[in-house]
Amino acid sequence: MKPVKSLFDYIDKIPKDKALLISVDYTPDTEAELQPMTIALLRHAFCRKIKVGVLTLTLLGLGLAEDALRVVTKEFNEKAINNEDSIIYGRDYVFLGWQTPPLVPLLGMGESITKVFPVDYYGNRTDTLPLLKEIKNYRDVGIVVSISGSAIPMWYVTYAQTTFGVKVGAGFTAVSAADYYPYLNSGQLTGLLAGMRGGAEYEELVEENFKIKGRRKATEAMSAQTTAHLTIILLIILGNFIYFYKKKK
Amino acid sequence: MKVKLPLVICLIMGIMGMVAYYVPHKIIQDFDNEWRNTALRIIFAFSLALGVGSIIRHHLEKIKRKREFFKYSYVTLISLFLTAFIGLFGGIDGKGLIKMQIGKFNFDIQTIYVNMAIPLGATMFSLLAYFMASAAFRAFRARNFEAVLLLIAAFIVMLASVPPIARLLPKLLYISEWILDVPNTAAKRGMLFGITLGVLSTSLKILLGIERGWLGGK
Amino acid sequence: MSTDIWVWIAALLTLGIFSFLYKDNPFYRFCEHLFIGITNGYAITFYWHRIIVPSLINPLSKGEKLYLLIFAFIGALYFTRFIPRLSWLVRIPIAFVIGYGAGAAIPRTIEAAIIEQAKATILQRSNFTNIFNGISSIIIFFGVISTIIYFFFSTERKGVLKHLAYSGIIFIMLGFGASFGYTVMARISLLIGRLTFLLRDWLGIIK
Repeated sequence: MKPVKSLFDYIDKIPKDKALLISVDYTPDTEAELQPMTIALLRHAFCRKIKVGVLTLTLLGLGLAEDALRVVTKEFNEKAINNEDSIIYGRDYVFLGWQTPPLVPLLGMGESITKVFPVDYYGNRTDTLPLLKEIKNYRDVGIVVSISGSAIPMWYVTYAQTTFGVKVGAGFTAVSAADYYPYLNSGQLTGLLAGMRGGAEYEELVEENFKIKGRRKATEAMSAQTTAHLTIILLIILGNFIYFYKKKK
Repeated sequence: MKVKLPLVICLIMGIMGMVAYYVPHKIIQDFDNEWRNTALRIIFAFSLALGVGSIIRHHLEKIKRKREFFKYSYVTLISLFLTAFIGLFGGIDGKGLIKMQIGKFNFDIQTIYVNMAIPLGATMFSLLAYFMASAAFRAFRARNFEAVLLLIAAFIVMLASVPPIARLLPKLLYISEWILDVPNTAAKRGMLFGITLGVLSTSLKILLGIERGWLGGK
Repeated sequence: MSTDIWVWIAALLTLGIFSFLYKDNPFYRFCEHLFIGITNGYAITFYWHRIIVPSLINPLSKGEKLYLLIFAFIGALYFTRFIPRLSWLVRIPIAFVIGYGAGAAIPRTIEAAIIEQAKATILQRSNFTNIFNGISSIIIFFGVISTIIYFFFSTERKGVLKHLAYSGIIFIMLGFGASFGYTVMARISLLIGRLTFLLRDWLGIIK
């Protein structure tokens, strides 16, 4: 809970003139675990009315990022009473898209986001978007949160943070999360969301603090996960029991 | 020439990459940014030709020589060319040169990706759950003290991930967090030092031309 | 039950991959090959529309930045991989990418993965603000040293080295145990995601 809470608390205190940059760096195979994290982060940012930039360093993350944005903006715009409440593209968030090789956005965004992404995902010229007139580079970004099934958040730590000092948070699949605790311990990662449980905890924090109701996929899955975990534990115990019984014989 | 030229280019590019980190002068930084945003981006974009070309060549070879399961190579090639056609001529939103829509039925590149690529990719990895359950029953044995230690740590972390049990036994959650924050951090950091030094030495060997595996054959 | 044709396509493809659990079969192989084709076609689309067109085609078509042709030529050398007599030329664009990548990575990796991590390991006064933090910091310090010693195979393990290496194993086993515990959660999560899609979005059995 501590790594999740520390990320939540940091994003909760980002000044309104800074942006949250979400890097959707996962592929369809880890969508079930990581998409809830992206959605929870977007909800948090939109509730706080801080500007959001979304990009991806993996090509296959584009469709997933667009899907997450579509779900959350629809949720907010259905409840919006006026223009202020609505989530408007270009004003409240931008979807920058993807660029390659990864070094280009990782280092290039330190100088100028619009030079790295001359057009956004939808083909709009980024220098015409109101949000990007205020958010020019990493100095205007409060934190970059990279969500990935691989070591891509470490690229942000190694390249972006080392060169420009930008704060980095991460969301990992549970498979790899334990490997990145050294970075959390050293303070290089401001917070860490680990697997579906991390996603569920973040969803809970957002709902508790902002009283919003949206579909909490990670939280819903936790009950099924409870059963599955207990089954695996029983299988390991049973397997070992049979092994020792046969050994004794 | 065939070996020396690429090695020299590699070294010069490597020095350029390092100099840009250490020298904050505006001229160096501007040149480095411009190099990355133009040259590197364009050169790297063509690397797709290598990947896709290799796949096409492999499957055409398979069909030509009628190797085992060669008929499925038709599936790969047809789906590759069809998807590329839809994307290139339909554009990202399906409203490009050719509209990818028949009545209300959309088949733009994003729709194909969300409804075909995502289910296929996600399901492939979800198969691992079955294999993991099978391995848990058959392979995870407490043969010695170290294995017992591993299983105990695993059980504590697994149980603490289960909300009802975490609520019943809050101390378990505490112990699980401690395992992750302290011994796990120590072990992973030790391994990180070793791996990083290995990667750094390999990178240096590549730049200096000692490691030439990336050049391929003659 | 869903009436959207794309949900049905997604569900059938999901079942096709799941059929592998019974045994390898034509339906599974079809789905597997389809996946490779679609993802490559997707890649071609985005490389063209988001990299080649804005970075190369657009400026050149306006008569600007003609020097980009040099880089396009270097990139085009990738195609020589398929011409046996000229295949050595593919090393040139690879050299540009690997060289710059390695050069940019080396100093930054030293900073992020060695210096910062070493700073976090060293015992400092600030670690001892409370006794629990202090003890944890000592354990981490000891654990890192013993893990590194465990992987040191250049000398014979005798005396203190032997005991330190064994302590390293203890820490590694605890670390791997924690990773395994998390891995179980990861794999189950993926399966839950797919089953939720089939039962909720496709069949509408659960809400």
